[in-house]
Amino acid sequence: MSAPVSSSAPAGAFGHRLRIAAAIIVSLFFLFPIYWMVLTSFKQQVDIFTNPPTFFFTPTLATYKEYIARADIVRRLINTVIVATGSGLLSIVVGTMAGYALARIRLRGAGTIGLLILLSRGVPPIALAVPMFLVARKFGLTDKHITLILAYSTFLIPYVMWLMRSFFLSLPKELEESAMIDGCSRYGAFFKIILPISLPGLLSTLIFSMILAWEELLFALVLTNRNASTIPVAIAGIAGDTVNGANWGALTAVGTITVVPVVIFALLVQKWLIKGLADGATKG
Amino acid sequence: MTTETVSRRDAAGGGAARHARRHALADLLTRWSFLMPSMLVLVVMLAYPIFYTIEISFSSFDLASFSADQWVGWENYREVIGDYRFWESLKVTLIYLVIALPLQVVLGFGIAYLINAEWWGRGILRALFIIPMVVAPVVAGGMWRMILDPLWGIANYWLGLVGLGPLDWFGDARLAMASVIIIDTWRWTPFIVLIATAALLALPKDVFEAAKIDGAGWWSTLWSVAVPLLVPVIAATFVIRWLGAVKMFDIVLAATYGGPGKATNVINLFIYEEAFRSLRFAESAAMAVIVLILTMVLTGIFLRGSRKLEELF
Repeated sequence: MSAPVSSSAPAGAFGHRLRIAAAIIVSLFFLFPIYWMVLTSFKQQVDIFTNPPTFFFTPTLATYKEYIARADIVRRLINTVIVATGSGLLSIVVGTMAGYALARIRLRGAGTIGLLILLSRGVPPIALAVPMFLVARKFGLTDKHITLILAYSTFLIPYVMWLMRSFFLSLPKELEESAMIDGCSRYGAFFKIILPISLPGLLSTLIFSMILAWEELLFALVLTNRNASTIPVAIAGIAGDTVNGANWGALTAVGTITVVPVVIFALLVQKWLIKGLADGATKG
Repeated sequence: MTTETVSRRDAAGGGAARHARRHALADLLTRWSFLMPSMLVLVVMLAYPIFYTIEISFSSFDLASFSADQWVGWENYREVIGDYRFWESLKVTLIYLVIALPLQVVLGFGIAYLINAEWWGRGILRALFIIPMVVAPVVAGGMWRMILDPLWGIANYWLGLVGLGPLDWFGDARLAMASVIIIDTWRWTPFIVLIATAALLALPKDVFEAAKIDGAGWWSTLWSVAVPLLVPVIAATFVIRWLGAVKMFDIVLAATYGGPGKATNVINLFIYEEAFRSLRFAESAAMAVIVLILTMVLTGIFLRGSRKLEELF
């Protein structure tokens, strides 16, 4: 029995090494575009348009300096932070409570509501964008942070609800049952017992919600024009700006500004992120 | 506390019943209060716009007052259904979905198998796979437009080194579609990789050992042991990816803007253009309703299907 195993071991070790090498090459392929974007953002115009493309050059911050002022980047960055934080927090509070209700509280008709909410994750945003724009215009609510925050909650709340529902379902029922027998109210049990042990799940859901809001384009494009305009809108503007030819310097600089903070943040909390993501998908 | 209520109930039955009723009502309110805030937001921000879209889709639209004007019945729908551009953009969307989704699911599970090889760098690779996922789609579109640029892009330079190309990525209709799918796949495959990694790690080891002892080969182990165990996760991933893919908008907007011609004009971009550039709100509302119904029906079918699949295996 042991003979065939040991004889196949060298081939196995070779296969194993091949697998690792393939994994590294694939990862590099997936990371290269971002590396190339960040690299290009530090190039001068003459270094961008060269053939063959340059890997070594004198780095400059010129594009950053120019476009941070011209594309109104600081204001858009602040807007993006406000909207992402606002909609993330609103959705996590409201969505977590609802997710708990769907997982644990017996309510007549809750199953139907749950199904409707799950289906609502499939609502294409374009079906909402047209009326939202018209209504916002009617009530003078365009170009306001709160409008965008509420608009983002349409896809964030169902997402949070569903993830937290499956998270709560994975907790043992006895936790809050014993607390409630001991005289805790439903709210007491929820806030004192359930929420504290759910912190990792809550955190990863919150971060994902904020990333989704951070990068949203359609609603921001439709509902804002100046005061509440976000960074993705600026990037869409630069990418679509074909009058001046491809403006790669601006595109890469603003792109880098958008991506780098999120990447750093995501890497810092990657353990929770991966776990939350995997649980949400496999237990959902 | 309990003795008190009991003695009071003994003393005056009617009062206690009223008390109990009020208590039950309060309990019902408490229980529903968990669900109410989100339902309130979703009704105002989701249900109301949907019903308003339906109203506009059956009306003529008055641009002066910027609101639905007269009820015109099915006229907008007739116009949309008779518009070949609508069907073209639906076709483009369908081509994208049919190629991109299976490609991403297969690639995702394949890469997950690769990066699950046991060595010290496994955790690092898995963490790095988060990065493309958190790149905003509009950034991904713009970034790849630079990489695939026919003249200065590094992709064509590399393809030139191996004797392929230069390819006119955005000038040729088929290649433009391929570029959109490449960009979308680059951005979304890591998401599937992370889910698949977790799913693969959660597979019961003893089943594989048993298969090995029974003398099952690599292929038959994969096909008759691993795949059946993974079917629920694959189905769930597919549904999640589907939910994201029907929203396809940002990547095309930044990378091709629907071009060349209308070759990559996905339905969402088409409706956006019709509404906000051509200001044809009534027609675009009708299109939005059609797309909404199509998506809902297909999502329902996929959800049912994924449950059925789980039962099957």
